[in-house]
Amino acid sequence: MSTSAQGIVERLRSILGLTPEAPVEQLKGYVEVSVDPASLRDAAAKLKAAGFDHVKSVTAVDYPDKKQIKVIYHASSMLDESLSGYVVGLATSVDRDNPTVPSLSGIWVSAEFQEREMYEFFGVNFEGHPDLRPLLLTPDLAAQRPLRKDFKVVEEDDYLKSTYEEYTSTKRWV
Amino acid sequence: MFSKGNMFLADMDEMVKRAREILKKGPLPSMVDWATAFSLWPVHLMTSCCGCEIGAAWGPRFDNERYGSLPWVSPRQTNLIIVEGTVTRKMGCSVRITWEQMPYPKFAIAMGVCALDGGLFYNSYNIIRPWQVIPIDIYIPGCPPRPEAVARSIVELQRKIREEGVASGWLADGERQDLKNIIPKEDLCSWRGEDVDLSTRYS
Ligand code: SF4
Repeated sequence: MSTSAQGIVERLRSILGLTPEAPVEQLKGYVEVSVDPASLRDAAAKLKAAGFDHVKSVTAVDYPDKKQIKVIYHASSMLDESLSGYVVGLATSVDRDNPTVPSLSGIWVSAEFQEREMYEFFGVNFEGHPDLRPLLLTPDLAAQRPLRKDFKVVEEDDYLKSTYEEYTSTKRWV
Repeated sequence: MFSKGNMFLADMDEMVKRAREILKKGPLPSMVDWATAFSLWPVHLMTSCCGCEIGAAWGPRFDNERYGSLPWVSPRQTNLIIVEGTVTRKMGCSVRITWEQMPYPKFAIAMGVCALDGGLFYNSYNIIRPWQVIPIDIYIPGCPPRPEAVARSIVELQRKIREEGVASGWLADGERQDLKNIIPKEDLCSWRGEDVDLSTRYS
């Protein structure tokens, strides 16, 4: 099996059943495949069957202008040497106001905690996730979706204050 | 209180009052302070990356153990808490629980600029300052502070204990005066969604 970049693109096309015009992005060692949210689970199952056995990271990108959130699963392989040099980004775009994505934690176990992170930072709902709770943030903070572009960070004052009361007034409590 | 031929039940208020008087004068307070100053055992609560310096500070090269200080795992047997860097909101509750479990007299050192005023994470949405969570005695600036700075903070704390009589003062008064500026524990742990009983038989 060829391990060149072109080879991996060809392999992905045959694995996922994509047409030659299908949008396949190519960076060095990184191939991104965009699929519909409806066919995400199918594509993940096919990738897993083809040897992509773990998810390195799950991440999301907020596009306020396009009113979309793109969720990307970075899958790679530990066991298949010809695949382990590549990271495949399995991307899907959903509506920003009600982002709902089928959970892939049943297929790749390592996605479970990272989907929880995307849930608390971007408010993405993962359907079928076994335990969708905030992981790192407190629930009141997670409700504000702090990694979305429209989240406003409350600026703290740069100057020292002369009294303790003045100083603590600029610090937010829990 | 005692008279010959009669036996009275001890008047507890009177006993406590007398014990406090004994603790306030004579050689006992300075002995308590001396003993506390040379048995400052920090509980190992690594909140952030400053914890790596703690490892170096108590390692063979810098050897903070020569000041009578030994990192220990259980908060029940320690009397010093070193907040090692950033404290996130969720971790603030854990810091408070750990601090509440430690027996009196107990002390706190805030280590690193993150623990002073946010440092690298100033303006972040997810941190709180350790001085909002527990009363802090000594601050160490630096990112991270050198192990020598940690050693110096231990020495400064020893000096503070012995010169100001902090340990015996707390034992005599039975309460701390510096708790008024910290967040109430109900607010700190409210995200857990359950009643957290932080009171222990030691505090
Ligand atoms: S002060 Fe520096 S080393 Fe310490 S916790 Fe903050 S960022 Fe990390």
